[in-house]
Amino acid sequence: MSQDDMTEMHWLIDMIQTVDVGVVVLDRENRIQVWNGFMESHSGKLPSEVRGKTLFEVFDYIDEEWFNRKTRPVFELRTRAFMTWEQRPFLFKFPNYRPITGSEDVMYQNITLSALTSTTGQVDNICMMIYDVTDIAANKKELEAVQVRLLEDREKSTSN
Amino acid sequence: MFSVLICDDSMVARKQVAKCLPPEWEVSIHFAKHGQEAIAALEEGKGQLLFLDLNMPVLDGYETLEAIKEKGLITQVIVISGDVQPEAHERVKALGAIEFIEKPVNSEQLKAVLDKHQILAKEEEQEIDSDALPADIRDVYQEITNIAMGQAGDHLARIFNVFVRLPIPNVNLIEVSELHMMLSDIEQKESVSGICQGFVGPGVAGEALFILSDSSFGDVAKILDIKENVDDQVQLELLMDAANILIGTCLRGLAIQLDLLFSQGHPVVLGQHRNVTELIASNKMKWKRSLAIELSYGLEGYNVQCDLVLLFTEESMRVMNYKLSHLLED
Repeated sequence: MSQDDMTEMHWLIDMIQTVDVGVVVLDRENRIQVWNGFMESHSGKLPSEVRGKTLFEVFDYIDEEWFNRKTRPVFELRTRAFMTWEQRPFLFKFPNYRPITGSEDVMYQNITLSALTSTTGQVDNICMMIYDVTDIAANKKELEAVQVRLLEDREKSTSN
Repeated sequence: MFSVLICDDSMVARKQVAKCLPPEWEVSIHFAKHGQEAIAALEEGKGQLLFLDLNMPVLDGYETLEAIKEKGLITQVIVISGDVQPEAHERVKALGAIEFIEKPVNSEQLKAVLDKHQILAKEEEQEIDSDALPADIRDVYQEITNIAMGQAGDHLARIFNVFVRLPIPNVNLIEVSELHMMLSDIEQKESVSGICQGFVGPGVAGEALFILSDSSFGDVAKILDIKENVDDQVQLELLMDAANILIGTCLRGLAIQLDLLFSQGHPVVLGQHRNVTELIASNKMKWKRSLAIELSYGLEGYNVQCDLVLLFTEESMRVMNYKLSHLLED
């Protein structure tokens, strides 16, 4: 590897570390291979603490059977899998990114799973990306609450 | 192709008009030296648009307009003349000319007139209308979808142990209103649920729409090996899982053949959490029509019925047609 390649590699790793999206790489046994800065900060767990352990050892509230059902098509079909906050508010129980002004206690998450092809062309690992969508979720909940209130008011005014 | 006929006795004038036509406008240009030649050309079906001079030998402009009227020839006439008298304007308009341009003509003026009468726009529309989706292009899309589905079906069959009745893809250009109908159908019927997901690749963008009939949930749960009670929450998950798999496999198959990569956005639940009519209404103006590939799936031995619609923007078609041009040859 040339000097340039090394520099570029270094940058790439740096970017994955600092990007404000959770990046986790899992193997077929759901053992954690990569745990980026976002995950470290929000979970309070160091990469050295979690590397090599399964997701379920580290987070006992994640249902193994359920999770495997999600990852299976990613490994087998190489399709991406998505989990949205509407379906399940969060996978990782992280506190809100804005602890002071945030209205929700937890971080709502959208999650994407995608296959990582190895040099031999096989899929032995998958990448999980965790997006913070708390603001979207909070806005939507607020909007819905307003709509309900509006309907109630309308009903009240018509019944009078 | 749209055909333009330029009739003037002066060669310089004919060339000038031809030069002033919008350069990006793909038209076939014909010339006539006087009215009689113009009529002959019109009778041959040339000249959907006629630029007509007034003072010419043999048959002048007025006489030509009269002849067009008399013979019922179909064309739009724009008179270009040095005769600036107001009466000349009125007379040619009375004879059926749509516009009068004074000589010398310039390209801005000409463009303005073409725009005013929507000749440029109409031409584009006509082109799409007439060969809305040429048979060979439809064939190509059908074929690549078939191949993508074949691969997807094989994957599905192996991992879930089911036999997938491969659907025949239905390829069409659809209008906003048709999609609207399709979506409000989802909204009205309580018995279906839908998901939409945006996808984008270099120069190609679209949305995948996945619709599952609610009666299918029980069997989908069986196939995905879910033993829990199928409540609303689980239904939503099933919908998402099934959509992930079907949209994913199909897009992957298409992407491989188009030799590109699609990014997929996060799926959005339709009907259940969103007002579909509003969703469409808000961006109605942004697009006119889209390429729709519809797939209806059935699984042998199961009561599962679902539809997958892939919608591509009109602009995407140019890129895709180019990528697929090797299939269109010979």
